[in-house]
Amino acid sequence: MIEVNELRKQFGKVTALDGLSFTAPEGKITGLLGPNGAGKTTCLRTIYGLLKADSGQALIDGVDASIEPLAARRKIGIFPDKFGLYERLTAREQVAYFASLHGMTRADASVAVQQVFERLDMLAIADRRATGFSQGQRMKVALAQAIVHRPQHLILDEPSRGLDVMSTRILRDLLRELRQQGTSILFSSHVMQEVAALCDQVVVVAKGKVVAQGTTEELCALTGETALEEAFVKIIGTDEGIAA
Amino acid sequence: MSVWSRFVSQHPTRIVFGKELRDAIRDKRSVMAAMSYAFFGPLLMAVAFFFMITQLTDPSDVEIDIKGAEHAPAFVDYLAQRGIVERSKPWPAGQHPITLTIDENWANHIAQAQQAPVTLTADFSSTKQRSDIRRIETALEGYSQQIAYIRLQMRGIDPRVISPIDVVKQDTATKGSRSALIMGSAMIFILMSVFFSGMNVAIDISAGERERNSLELLLSQPLTTQQMVLGKALAASCFAMAGGLLSVVLIPWVFRLLPLHEIGISVVITTADMCLMIAMLLPLALLATALQLFVSFRAKSFKEAQTYISFVLMLPMMVVFGVEFTNTKNPLLYYTPVTGQHQALLDIIKGEAIQWLPLVISSLVTLLLGWIILRFIGRMLASEKVVFGL
Repeated sequence: MIEVNELRKQFGKVTALDGLSFTAPEGKITGLLGPNGAGKTTCLRTIYGLLKADSGQALIDGVDASIEPLAARRKIGIFPDKFGLYERLTAREQVAYFASLHGMTRADASVAVQQVFERLDMLAIADRRATGFSQGQRMKVALAQAIVHRPQHLILDEPSRGLDVMSTRILRDLLRELRQQGTSILFSSHVMQEVAALCDQVVVVAKGKVVAQGTTEELCALTGETALEEAFVKIIGTDEGIAA
Repeated sequence: MSVWSRFVSQHPTRIVFGKELRDAIRDKRSVMAAMSYAFFGPLLMAVAFFFMITQLTDPSDVEIDIKGAEHAPAFVDYLAQRGIVERSKPWPAGQHPITLTIDENWANHIAQAQQAPVTLTADFSSTKQRSDIRRIETALEGYSQQIAYIRLQMRGIDPRVISPIDVVKQDTATKGSRSALIMGSAMIFILMSVFFSGMNVAIDISAGERERNSLELLLSQPLTTQQMVLGKALAASCFAMAGGLLSVVLIPWVFRLLPLHEIGISVVITTADMCLMIAMLLPLALLATALQLFVSFRAKSFKEAQTYISFVLMLPMMVVFGVEFTNTKNPLLYYTPVTGQHQALLDIIKGEAIQWLPLVISSLVTLLLGWIILRFIGRMLASEKVVFGL
């Protein structure tokens, strides 16, 4: 389970996180939905300990990344916002690198890599170097990197940005399967359809605060709208009204 | 697998090192950059030395204009024996003519034991003709002294009375130490090779990693920034060392091809010497890499890093060239990084005894400095300001 309690973070005069709290339980897909600049990426970076919160804490199974960063990071798989691949390594070497960084032995890593490649149907590109990979193929490598060590928590930052229809489907199928296996999945997005299609619960974030929380249906009911998009606009819009 | 070897093979530093080394070896640009400096450096040096040697051993006569040669045939013969002859070709453009004018009353003056005026006209400030003018002056003095001795003897006086001081010149310059100047510049090549050869790799694994957008993900993995930096530094040091190794092997080979014996230089570099050189380049390779990583981890792109690194390269170059050309002799130089290795290399090449204690100390100081810089980079990367450029 990922727990975020009262996170606050200030960059100079800009308040990125303003008392953000939510939980992402096991076996659930939690969507962090918010407009650009709402503090989603800052929140995720704080969870895996790249940024230090001014106050509050983020716990992964009770481990605080600001205190024990390595222990916290061993529990998670990360699918980053921008996934830069090592162009001169093959897909297999690339994913094995991340598996071994997570402490897998060479033998264990090569078995795990083989399994994840089979699951993602990427054996055909396994031994090709990343130069010349299509966007979809790159996404698969990044995804394989994130799950090769079978983490209990998966964090995805804007996962479907720039993906084609096929890649998006593969991603969604995989996330549903991992949810089945009890993984707690947290992903940030500013795309409503994405969140509506996947998430068990939605956390709407604006200006570093949670402005609404619940299932898609609950959010629609809350605002009296039938579509999440309308509900989202209403929630954000109201918030802006209050702030101003 | 033993516990130790499992620990080593799974240690994050080793994992990062292995990955970076494999990545770098596949990068043709990095390999070319590392090897080309080590390869073309000695080659360039060989060409430069070749010209220097041919100039130094130039046995050709000094050709000058001699006016009034007909008045003093014996004198002109003497000059010719010393390689100073009458010029038949015109002077090349831009070169000042050197003219020796012999007075028409030469024979009379000599016969009456008077001073015979001889005028030497030349541009005495010309560096090109300095050695020519010097040769002429020496020949003139020699002839003058010869005449003086004859005159004294004719009057029954021991010629030694006019040279009260007998200067005995004992040349203690060994063949080895005479070659030091040439070797000095060769040693600079060897020294700098570790700074140049690992440079491309160092940029690629730091600023390049950031430019590719993979730095953030790597930092989010379960390894400390110290482990990551050390793994990367060792990989880049391997490249720096490969360049160092190549130039240590190539430079003695180049010396063997050059006709150095013609200028009285002998170079004997044994295999043991080469092994010692390689050993003392090791800590330097780590320091060079640490310095390069320090600046390029701060850069946002490959290009930016290249700009910074060229400044960093100036540093050791200035130090070494400064010491070499100002001929600074300070015992402290034996103990400090870069200069310590430089002095030890010079001692090896001159065939002098190696000062082991200073060498060990300077190696340790170099290692320590490299280590401190790497620790500092590790701390720097743990700071969100540096990582995200806030």
